[in-house]
Amino acid sequence: MGSRFRWVQVLLYGFVSLWSLFVLLPTAWMVIGAFKTKREFFLDPLGMPASFDFDAFERAWGTGVGGFLLNSMFVTALSVLVIVVVSAMAAYVLARTDNRWMRLVYLVIVAGFAVPVQAVIIPLFQMVSGAGMLNSLFAIVLPYAAYGIPFTIILFYAFFLDFPRELEEAALLDGCRPVKTFFHIVLPLMGPAVASAAIFQAVFIWNEFLLALLMLTKPAVKTLTVGILQLGGEFTSDWAAIMAGLSIAVLPILTVFILAQKYFVRSLAGLGK
Amino acid sequence: MSDTSLAKPVTGPDASTWILLTPALGLVILFIVIPALLAIAGSFFTIGIGSTNWQFAGLANYTRALNDPIFWLALRNNLIMVVGSIVLQVGFGTVLAAILDRGLPRGSTLFRTIIFAPMVMSTIAVALIWLVIMDPNVGALNTLVKALGMQPPTQGWLGDPDIALWVILVIAMWQYTGFMMVLILAGLQGIPRELYEAAALDGARGLKAFRHITLPGIRNVLIVAVLITTIGGFKVFDLIFATTRGGPANATQVLGTYIYQQAFNLGNMGYANAISVVLLLIAVLLGWLQLQVSRRS
Repeated sequence: MGSRFRWVQVLLYGFVSLWSLFVLLPTAWMVIGAFKTKREFFLDPLGMPASFDFDAFERAWGTGVGGFLLNSMFVTALSVLVIVVVSAMAAYVLARTDNRWMRLVYLVIVAGFAVPVQAVIIPLFQMVSGAGMLNSLFAIVLPYAAYGIPFTIILFYAFFLDFPRELEEAALLDGCRPVKTFFHIVLPLMGPAVASAAIFQAVFIWNEFLLALLMLTKPAVKTLTVGILQLGGEFTSDWAAIMAGLSIAVLPILTVFILAQKYFVRSLAGLGK
Repeated sequence: MSDTSLAKPVTGPDASTWILLTPALGLVILFIVIPALLAIAGSFFTIGIGSTNWQFAGLANYTRALNDPIFWLALRNNLIMVVGSIVLQVGFGTVLAAILDRGLPRGSTLFRTIIFAPMVMSTIAVALIWLVIMDPNVGALNTLVKALGMQPPTQGWLGDPDIALWVILVIAMWQYTGFMMVLILAGLQGIPRELYEAAALDGARGLKAFRHITLPGIRNVLIVAVLITTIGGFKVFDLIFATTRGGPANATQVLGTYIYQQAFNLGNMGYANAISVVLLLIAVLLGWLQLQVSRRS
């Protein structure tokens, strides 16, 4: 029994280790590739670079990756802020009022959760271009916010159903109006729920591609996903620069994930509940 | 002024209700509901690139889709993505989650972090990394395959219509299996340990316990996982756009890329809207199912 148990354990460790290697190797190869010379790439694709210098990062940065990075940070931060604030406001009302209207509103929002942006991209593109919203980092925040709101409302709605009402009632008795109660009493206590929703939406928006591809066509406003795709065309055989650009795009969000994974995992677990 | 609002029973939505509700509802209506309605309306019209000139076309766009072999090919490829992703991502995700839940005395958190990490990378970046890995000249994959004494495909991994879609399935598996694992792991951790202890006393361990305790315990989570994967398989766009653009010879064409091609490369907005409506109906139906299952648990 004892030795059989040990063998099973070796097998299980072997399997998860193999999968981890399968995940790690391409990522490591990307980062290492950013330090290799063109010659090293051709002579030995699996080899290590002779020296570690940051020339390729400079070349990638020089073609605008720095700007793409800033654009992505700006769009992501602003969108997440809008999503969290307006979703919290709406979810609060939906969880605290029970009538026909609110049920209809909730239904509309839940239906919005199911609509994929690919399926409505033609009218959406025609609307935003007709409204003169192309090539504006502010304008793309609006559709990003819209597509982040339904899931965030569903998350917050569940949070408010469990929120102690006594706190709000006390505030109301002290003469706080509902809007003030919300901003002064409820919102400050939403910490963990906000963190979960924010990190989930941040990853989604940081990585969004289709809307960015269609709405942000000028180099000065491109975000990372669109920018790095164009990088492949600019450095047709400068593999190190491509790998450096990809590393710049991937490593910040990986860092955020590792630091905040507790909240991230929590919001994902919410999907299954 | 005396405040009497407290004494009044709240019967309907008052002003402050709408102040809090309007921004979210407005954005959702403006950028989701209206475009969805316009896509449905637009599918009955012929719309040129200029897109100001709508000509009523009745069901012509839909009959065109029914007679378009590429539409059917794209739908078939979506179905292959769906079934393949369920088998690979939910399948391996379940196995990995089960191992991390109870199989390892230590190290679970580290393995979970590593295996989940690709999920947070942009699909475009993932696609580009794999494009370089599969490059015939500088890629690691061909070198590795040759080192193992095998022959890499002569037309390249994504250039061969017979294997391109399967290669894409593997890249999708690389990125999303960790997501499924984490989702299912959350379900597993909700199963009370006492059930396993009681079963062990009755002699049920290992696979037997897995079949009689674990599987029933995560039934709902598994259904949600399958639905999310199914929706993902129908929505797939970024990965294919960044690797093959639907080629070679439409071998990896899916609804998402075909909509894009018809609308933005060929200027057939009306026809693209009809294909969009098909995708929209599938997604809304599956999304509704997902919420029904989620709510039940």
